Amino acid sequence: MNENKILVKNFLEDTGVIDLQIRLVAGESGIEKEIRVGDINRPGLTLAGFYDFFAYDRIQVFGLGESAYLRQLSNGQKRHVLEKFFSYDVLCCIFTHNEEPDRMFLEFADAKGVPVFITRKDTTRFTSSLVYLLNEAFAPTVTLHGTFTDVYGIGVLLIGKSGVGKSECALELVERGHRFIADDVVIVKRIDESILMGGGSPMLKYHMEIRGLGIINVKDIFGIRSVRDRKRVELVVLLEEWVQNKEYDRLGLEETTYPLLDIQVPSIMVPVRPGRNIPIIVETAALNQRLKKLGIYTARDLDRDIQDSLMKEKANG
Amino acid sequence: MTEREVVVTSDAGVHARPAMMIVREAMKYPCEVKLIKEDVEADCKSIMSVLGLAIVSGSRLVIRANGEGEEKVVDSIVSMIENNFTINEKSAEKN
Repeated sequence: MNENKILVKNFLEDTGVIDLQIRLVAGESGIEKEIRVGDINRPGLTLAGFYDFFAYDRIQVFGLGESAYLRQLSNGQKRHVLEKFFSYDVLCCIFTHNEEPDRMFLEFADAKGVPVFITRKDTTRFTSSLVYLLNEAFAPTVTLHGTFTDVYGIGVLLIGKSGVGKSECALELVERGHRFIADDVVIVKRIDESILMGGGSPMLKYHMEIRGLGIINVKDIFGIRSVRDRKRVELVVLLEEWVQNKEYDRLGLEETTYPLLDIQVPSIMVPVRPGRNIPIIVETAALNQRLKKLGIYTARDLDRDIQDSLMKEKANG
Repeated sequence: MTEREVVVTSDAGVHARPAMMIVREAMKYPCEVKLIKEDVEADCKSIMSVLGLAIVSGSRLVIRANGEGEEKVVDSIVSMIENNFTINEKSAEKN
C-alpha cells in the first residue's frame, strides 16, 4: 500500500515518539528511499572483507568499532574498502557517538545517493530506540469496525454490528470518567508477540457519530481528560442483540478469547436489549479483567468453595 | 457476494455529505456492505468508517455486499459515485 511506505526521510527525520537525535551529513539524494526491512545491520564484518550475508538493504549502524576500523586504514586501503562497500545498494548509514565519517566516506555516499546520518546517542541506546521504532512501523496492522475505550486502565474494544449501541456505550463510559480512544475505525497493531496496541485514525481523531446528534468531538465536549491516543487492547466485548433461547454465559468459568492478529485476547459476549445498562457491565468486565490479571478468578474460587463445603457436609453426614 | 469496482471522479472526494449519502443508501438494505480502498475495509453503514478512508478524486474503490439485496445496493452506490453524487444531492435537498 502506497500510504504505508516507510521512507528513509520520514522515518529518520520525524519519528514523533522518540527523538533519535540524528542529523543528515551526506547522500541527500537517497532520502526518498524506502525502508523495506525492519532490521538493522552492524557492518563491522563487511568492512573487514567478509561480504557473505551482507544485509545491505537494512539500516547500517556504524558504532565506535566500525569508525575506529575505518580510521586506522591507509587512504589506499580505505578507498578499496569503500569501493566494495558502496558497490552494493546500501540503504543508509548511521554513525553513533557523534563520530563524523571522513570526507572520502561522505564523497562515496553522495556519489551513490546513500544517506549518511550522525547521532549523538551511543550505539546500544540508539539501536534499542531504532529497533523500537522499526518494530512499530513494521508491526502487522488491522483496521476494525468497533469502538475503543480505556476503562479503569484496561483497553476495552467494543465490537458489534452497526446500530447495536457501541458509540452510545462509549459516550456513557466517557460520562462516567473513562477515556475514549476511537470510534468506528480502530487501528490495531501487533507491536510484540503478545502486545496489541490500538488507536484511532489520525484523520478522525476524537470524533464520534451518534445517531440523532451527528458527528461530535469528544475532546471538545468532555475535555482532555476524556480522551487518549492509544492503549493496549486487553479485553474484547462483543455486543449482540439479545437472541431468544440462546445460551449466554452464566457462570464465567470458561475463558473465551477473540483472535486479533493471531493473539487470543480475552473476550466476553454481552447480549444487548432495551433498558439493559451496558456501560456498567463493561465497567465491571474491565474490573473483573484486572482481577484475573492478578490471578483472582471469582467463578472458579466460588466453585472451589462450594465443592469444599459439599465435601465437608458429606463427611459430616 | 456482489462486488464492483469504481473510480471516484468527484473533485471534492468523499467528504461529509457524500459519505452520508453512501451510508444512507447502504442502510436501506439489510445486507452487509463494505467499501474497500487499497486493502482497507470500511463499513458502509458507518459514516466515520467511510470518512476514515480519506477517499479523494481518483481513488479506486471496491464495493462489496453480502446478503439480501446485495446486487441492488452495489448498483445504486456505484451509480451514485459515477454520477458524482449529483442526482442524489438534489433529491436530498428536496427532502
